[in-house]
Amino acid sequence: MASKRTALVICPGRGTYNAAELGYLARWGADPAFIAMADSYRASQGQPSVSALDGAEAWKAGVHARGDNASALIFASSYTDYLAIDRDAFDIVAVTGNSMGWYTALACGGALSAKPGLALANTMGRYMQEAMIGGQAIWSLVDEDWRPIPGRRQALTNAIAAINGHGGAELYVSIELGGMLVLAGNETGLAAMTAAAPRGPGRFPMGLPGHAGFHSPLQSRVSERAKTTISVAPFGQPNVPMIDGAGRIWRPHMSDVRALWDYTLGQQVTETYDFTLAVQVGVKEFAPDALIVLGPGETLGGAIAQSLFGLRWLGMESKADFLARQASDPFLLAMGREEQRRLVTQR
Amino acid sequence: MDPAESVHEAFRARVAAGEWPRAQTSALPAGLTPETLAEMFASQALSRQLDRTARFLQARGEGFYTIGSSGHEGMAAVAEAFRVSDMAFLHYRDAAFQIQRSKKLPGQTPAWDLLLSFAASAEDPISGGRHKVLGSKALFIPPQTSTIASHLPKAMGAAYAVGLGKRLEAPDRVLPDDAVIVASFGDASANHSTAQGAINAACWTAWQGGPMPIVFVCEDNGIGISVKTPRGWIEAAFANRPALKYLACDGLDLADTWQAASEAAAFARRTRRPVFLHMSCVRLYGHAGSDVQGAYLSKAEIEEAESNDPLLRSAGLLADLAGLAPAEILQIYDETGEAVTRVAEQAITRPKLTTAKEVMASLIPPRRTPAPSNGPSLEARKAAFGSEFVALDKPAHLARLINWALTDLMLEHGEIVLAGEDVGAKGGVYNVTSKLQVRFGSQRVVDTLLDEQSILGLAMGLAHNGLLPIPEIQFLAYVHNAEDQIRGEASTLSFFSSGQYTNPLILRIAGLGYQRGFGGHFHNDNSIAALRDIPGVIIACPSNGADAVAMLREAVRLAREEQRVIVFLEPIALYMTRDLHAEKDGLWTFPYAAPGAGSGIALGDVGVAGKGSDLAIVSYANGHFLSRQAQKILGEQHGINARVIDLRWLSPLDFSKIVAAIGPAKRVLIVDECRITGSPSEGLMAGLAEHAPQLSLSRIAAEDSFIPLGRAATVTLPSRDSILAAALGAVGGAARRRRSA
Repeated sequence: MASKRTALVICPGRGTYNAAELGYLARWGADPAFIAMADSYRASQGQPSVSALDGAEAWKAGVHARGDNASALIFASSYTDYLAIDRDAFDIVAVTGNSMGWYTALACGGALSAKPGLALANTMGRYMQEAMIGGQAIWSLVDEDWRPIPGRRQALTNAIAAINGHGGAELYVSIELGGMLVLAGNETGLAAMTAAAPRGPGRFPMGLPGHAGFHSPLQSRVSERAKTTISVAPFGQPNVPMIDGAGRIWRPHMSDVRALWDYTLGQQVTETYDFTLAVQVGVKEFAPDALIVLGPGETLGGAIAQSLFGLRWLGMESKADFLARQASDPFLLAMGREEQRRLVTQR
Repeated sequence: MDPAESVHEAFRARVAAGEWPRAQTSALPAGLTPETLAEMFASQALSRQLDRTARFLQARGEGFYTIGSSGHEGMAAVAEAFRVSDMAFLHYRDAAFQIQRSKKLPGQTPAWDLLLSFAASAEDPISGGRHKVLGSKALFIPPQTSTIASHLPKAMGAAYAVGLGKRLEAPDRVLPDDAVIVASFGDASANHSTAQGAINAACWTAWQGGPMPIVFVCEDNGIGISVKTPRGWIEAAFANRPALKYLACDGLDLADTWQAASEAAAFARRTRRPVFLHMSCVRLYGHAGSDVQGAYLSKAEIEEAESNDPLLRSAGLLADLAGLAPAEILQIYDETGEAVTRVAEQAITRPKLTTAKEVMASLIPPRRTPAPSNGPSLEARKAAFGSEFVALDKPAHLARLINWALTDLMLEHGEIVLAGEDVGAKGGVYNVTSKLQVRFGSQRVVDTLLDEQSILGLAMGLAHNGLLPIPEIQFLAYVHNAEDQIRGEASTLSFFSSGQYTNPLILRIAGLGYQRGFGGHFHNDNSIAALRDIPGVIIACPSNGADAVAMLREAVRLAREEQRVIVFLEPIALYMTRDLHAEKDGLWTFPYAAPGAGSGIALGDVGVAGKGSDLAIVSYANGHFLSRQAQKILGEQHGINARVIDLRWLSPLDFSKIVAAIGPAKRVLIVDECRITGSPSEGLMAGLAEHAPQLSLSRIAAEDSFIPLGRAATVTLPSRDSILAAALGAVGGAARRRRSA
């Protein structure tokens, strides 16, 4: 038998289950046992089942993009994608995730089993939705060819520093997302940033409707609430190395479970999530043959590619390099994209 | 089979078969969790697999250094016992230390970083491809290239700097006020005078209550390349030193090592006193890749070392005390190896250094912008100078002007610290540092022990914590016993760290000859050959007090803003010289330019006396002084109008400025008071021949001799009269050549 390919698995975050993803679970025959468990859990919480949400007539922002629904839908889609990876073809050497994808990564990595994993994502989504403190908007650091715009990062950093803490404005870097910078802030802060900071290319900056000001001090109340209600008990040793949003690697047998719980409900919630670093740590320390991006959606590809450009990984420095590589011998396999999904799952 | 592979195979086979040495205790020590134990083992495994991979890479021509850490992986437990910000000056066998420390800081990539170093890639994050070296800015591990423990003096200095930085509230201090320094080295290099000196200096300081929070870790594998360390020698040599706490541990046992290292760290942190941690270990598969142990060790000895593989002992702890199954232990080991293999294949594709310019990019540190200063206030100056303030208006000699300049500089920059033998209470052998200890206290004017290696180490260590050291070496001849501290350590730090670590300092040295019979060779040394070829090091050498003031200020600027290492060579014979041509003419005393006054002298600026174009005499220090005497006679008695150029800066020589100063003169006489072989005149002759081939060059320099006592003290040196004769010869010779043409 040909040797397995090694893979780093990447779990997507919020905003990935959109109109195009409606029916995602049904389309790919998501693991029935998991879906049954998930539906039952959601019912126990008095929430609509993921099956029902996935099988709705139409995607509605007011329903599907709400934190308390989106988190469960995305977790279910990602986790069942993970279960669908052909393990005879791929040796998974590490998992990571973007933003709420960290909760999925905890389950994929085995630090939480499926049900408490779902419960964590669902509960945190619900808490965020209930508190709904602040919002998120996204700025670009790169041009249309995904090359860094000279001076852009500094300009954004300067603008944030000038705005935060003045006139009631709160503004923080929420996510380092490859060639993008996601900011979290209150209304005043985000409005001031939108007015003051450089724009473009294209539609940037973009507000992220339905998102709270994740990964910032704005969420400290959510963090405190989570720590009082979510127990450390379900957390355990991972069975696959997990890379968190600070670039830390949690390895099997070596993880301080209480510290893992503390990070997940503490620093992860209230400080910048550095997805770029997580991807870079993943390729540098594990040098996988492929990156598998779980569904739903396929919007994380750009951020991952841009994270790789920072290292000139496999010689790639631009969108053209990346697209050429993807066309000939794809390094990034997005399960939300049908032709790449086929390369990952058993046919 | 390659010995590394046989150790590897034996480890796998014995773990699989459950044949590990049984744990000595029934439980892990309090505070050490099974998870941390497993993490330390993973660091050991990564270190071991990196060693194997280094050999594979070298065989393929992709790696360039195979000296490894195998057998010393117990250092993972030492790392675990310290904080990331406890600056570590590491032995070259300490990959496991760096790997374990990296796990305390999110975002670190030790496998990738070390493999880039193996591959000599320009992207190696510490040395940029200049050396296979441990080191990391983020992990507080300055790179050490030393194989002979020559990093110990600066480690000792850094430990002293922890306390001093706190005491002085130095704004740019790098180390936390409760930091402990770690300095590791092998049992063989423990014998080196540098190691002995550093440990002695630590004891000497702690004995009298000075701060010295340092843990010396002696990794005793029992052999230095091929020479065995006598059994029991390290313990006998270090267990009973004054003010030095001695602890021993079994470096093959992670739990025991962690426990002892934790005790060492806690003791040093609590008491601010030095600890000697004696960690026994083994050396697996020889000194380095090319070393065949069979040439000097018996088969039984080699087998004994291999049977003491520390990873096997760790496997035993994991199985017996942490509940891991053999398969799980092997999974950690094998998956680490597989990851290293994959990462290595990527690392070797990364760019290499290709040009001299790239290699040399970090020879000179990057510029920085220190906090601005408006200079000392008038009130502060009056208070500091006291009754001497009124004397500042009067012309003074070199020694006093340096003293005044130091006073103002120390007033202006609170981070300046002076250190040297007799610089404090005595005020220096020649009173150059007189009253400075009274003015600034014994914290900033430190009387050191008699050990030049330790003085320089102290200075470098102070610089590692954001202080600006101005160490003094009492006489030029004394620098030679410590010159590696400049040559191998201070000057290379920026180079081997891609400019991330620097040790800006100004080394004042009293030197050169002409002391009218006093002192003989050791107080009149006249060779700086050992300093002038060191890349990046600046040598300043003023001939008079006015220049010295301006140059000292420039030196401080160079250190603060450009992070440079500067040797400030002060001509002893001119310290108290007042007269140039005749008694009481006072022409070698100069007024003191207050801070901010005066035109300043930038690096490379030369001085020019006179506008004559018949001859340019190029010299420095005493040679310049004597040339000025000769210049007068040449003009008055021989009708020869000469200009006398004072180089001021002896390295690097700025030929554009020198040639510009020579101006219209066609004939150049170089006067060099240093021994002709290796003297600056060699560089001048060659450089002028290249940069200004039209010039007619001649020189006189000191004989290749040591300086004798008494009346013969100056006979090997250029004199006013020999300069005069050479000048007449240069001009006359040229005239003769013109006539015969």
